[in-house]
Amino acid sequence: MNGSVVFVVDDDRSVRSSLKLLISSVGLQVESFESADTFLQRKPPDAPSCLVLDIRLRGLSGLDFQRELATRNIHIPIVFITGHGDIPMSVRAMKAGAVEFLTKPFRDQDLLDAVRIALERDRARREQEKEVADLQQRFDSLTPREQEVISMVVSGMLNKQIAGELGTAENTVKVHRSRAMEKMNAQSFADLVRMIEKLKGPAKKAS
Amino acid sequence: MGFSPMGEITVRLAERISDRSIYLVRLTVEDHEVGDVGQHFLLILPVYVGVGMSPAGSAPAHDEAPQHIEQRWRTAFESSAIGITMADLAGRFFAANSVFRNMLGYTESELYELTYLDVTYEEDRKTNQELVGELMEGKRQHFQIEKRYCRKDGTLVWVRNYVSRVPGMGGVAPFWFAVVEDITQRKEEESARRYTEEKYRVMVETASDAVICLDESSAILLANPATTRVFGYDPTELIGKPLTMLMPEFLRKLHEGGFKRYLATGQRHINWQGTELIGLRKNGQEFPVEVSFGELIQDGHRVFTGFIRDISERKQAEEIRKQAQKAIQTTQAELARVSRLTTMGELAASIAHEVNQPLTAVNNNSSACLRLLANERLQPDVLRRALEEIVADGTRASAIIARIRTFIKKAPAEKNRLDVNEVIGEVLAMMGHGFEENRIVLKSELAQALPPVLGDRVQLQQVLLNLIMNGVEAMTAIIDRPRLLWVQSRIDESGEVLIAVRDSGTGLGLEADSVFTPFFTTKANGMGMGLSISRSLIDAHGGRLWTTPNSPHGAVFSFTLPVPAGSPS
Repeated sequence: MNGSVVFVVDDDRSVRSSLKLLISSVGLQVESFESADTFLQRKPPDAPSCLVLDIRLRGLSGLDFQRELATRNIHIPIVFITGHGDIPMSVRAMKAGAVEFLTKPFRDQDLLDAVRIALERDRARREQEKEVADLQQRFDSLTPREQEVISMVVSGMLNKQIAGELGTAENTVKVHRSRAMEKMNAQSFADLVRMIEKLKGPAKKAS
Repeated sequence: MGFSPMGEITVRLAERISDRSIYLVRLTVEDHEVGDVGQHFLLILPVYVGVGMSPAGSAPAHDEAPQHIEQRWRTAFESSAIGITMADLAGRFFAANSVFRNMLGYTESELYELTYLDVTYEEDRKTNQELVGELMEGKRQHFQIEKRYCRKDGTLVWVRNYVSRVPGMGGVAPFWFAVVEDITQRKEEESARRYTEEKYRVMVETASDAVICLDESSAILLANPATTRVFGYDPTELIGKPLTMLMPEFLRKLHEGGFKRYLATGQRHINWQGTELIGLRKNGQEFPVEVSFGELIQDGHRVFTGFIRDISERKQAEEIRKQAQKAIQTTQAELARVSRLTTMGELAASIAHEVNQPLTAVNNNSSACLRLLANERLQPDVLRRALEEIVADGTRASAIIARIRTFIKKAPAEKNRLDVNEVIGEVLAMMGHGFEENRIVLKSELAQALPPVLGDRVQLQQVLLNLIMNGVEAMTAIIDRPRLLWVQSRIDESGEVLIAVRDSGTGLGLEADSVFTPFFTTKANGMGMGLSISRSLIDAHGGRLWTTPNSPHGAVFSFTLPVPAGSPS
């Protein structure tokens, strides 16, 4: 995964530097921070990333930090590490979307596996976000009338019905439709429907 | 001549024979009791004073001229030590000697304008008039009356009057004759005595304590009503009985011996004021009493008065208070123990966490090196740095383990000679990265060559850790100035070792006095026991723990520890 970044936040200097060495030993780029605050000051990278986070941070605790990230709409996957983890704590972390909850001292492979899963999850998320962004860009390039026609097509209306609805000729509708299909880079009617559904997904979430 | 010692007897006292006439002189002899102690005097009064009133034409006796006799009577009348007055049957005075005039404060002429009722105090007039009436009616020959005269100046004078009606004789009209004794002083004394007696009687009757009088044989002469309430006996059951019946068996011999010794030597075997003894009730119940004794000589006999108070309730209350105090102490000790366990539990968790840190680091570094080695990508300088870290973390872990050992060693307040600086060093090590993590600058100012103190290492560590943690927590909110924590040790003015923990935090302000109170806390999650327990631990070391404001910010917590005698300082 070229360009991926693993962020380590642990207030213990030895742990922090050893994690950096371990993660970088498998060829991953690592950046470490001694506190949540210093991490937040860094600009989010334009690459898949994940966070290895000590749950017992001084000041803002790991779990509080997880909540803080969520409210800031930062969707970075988190691998928790802790000196002494209890079950309620781990449940809370996992429910809030943590990838893994590891108790120190952990097996190196467990941590590296968790990091890989986290990065993969972030990569997938970023890809999906990118695809939606592309579709949106294409959709935005349509004329208002084309967008209108497309929406009606996807909802299952026939050309004739659309023409009647818009008060225009059926042929005109056909032209709008084919131009829109072309601009959206849709191979088939089914492809177009899938694209519009994807666009609606995040839109629905946002509303 | 003869006379009866009491009452009025008119006797033929003398028959005097002159040249040609026989004078009959009748005298009234009265026996008067004066005062209350049986002093008597005889008043011999001539009822018929012949001088000047002798039958016309009679000649004086050959051996004494009538003028002489009259003069003698007149002088006797005037210089009498007792008041004498005469009044006509209407009550108007016509003769009064100087004692009587002085008694009332009137001159002779003023007095002769008045009747006896005029000078008699209003309240006494009626009785006086009735007696006079009886005398008039012949029901009695004379009467006595104690009454008050109203003096010319308005003050009252108590008198005792002996009044008789002198029958008319030979041209002389009958008249009242009164002998007047001033008894004001006696009345006042009597009144005072009565008041005192009444007061004491009321006190004894209404006292809530049993009041018992004893004679010289320790027999009960008197017992007040409260005795029944205290001992269960009716006073009548007690009169004449020995006092020992109110004591349990074991005290009786003691009392008898002590009482005898006192009578013989005047030496008291118990304190006579407020001695706590054991009483015995009629029902056989023993109960605590507080006894006070007084002694009085009456008619040549010694009388002892005892005031006996039932103090069962007081004793019970004392007992309850003692038990409550004991319970509080037990609870405090228990709280201290629990708190210590809690602190130890928290420390154990914290130490476990701390041990895991270097272990994790060691694992990570080793695994990383192995991986790099497998890929043949391991650079020598990377390996060296990793190995150095591994060694450092190994050392760190073993230091933590050593601390746990010291800490969990069971040490029940075992006092050893301790180097205070060493204890401070151990606690600072326990804090680990606690200071840098909180961006606190630690300034340790420890005096060299402090004398050793006697103390419990773990307890002192606990106190120090508590004070330091408080200091750290007091500074977490400080952002506008450096977070400084001083730990200082030195010898103070009195030669004791003084340890101070000083911070630049928020300070205590008005709460400074309360911080040592159990359950007082300024922290959201605090129990409020830390400083309370710390203080009791330092107290147990013979030291003192207090707080003062730090300048310009924060608080100082200081404690002293005494240096055992013989220590080189």
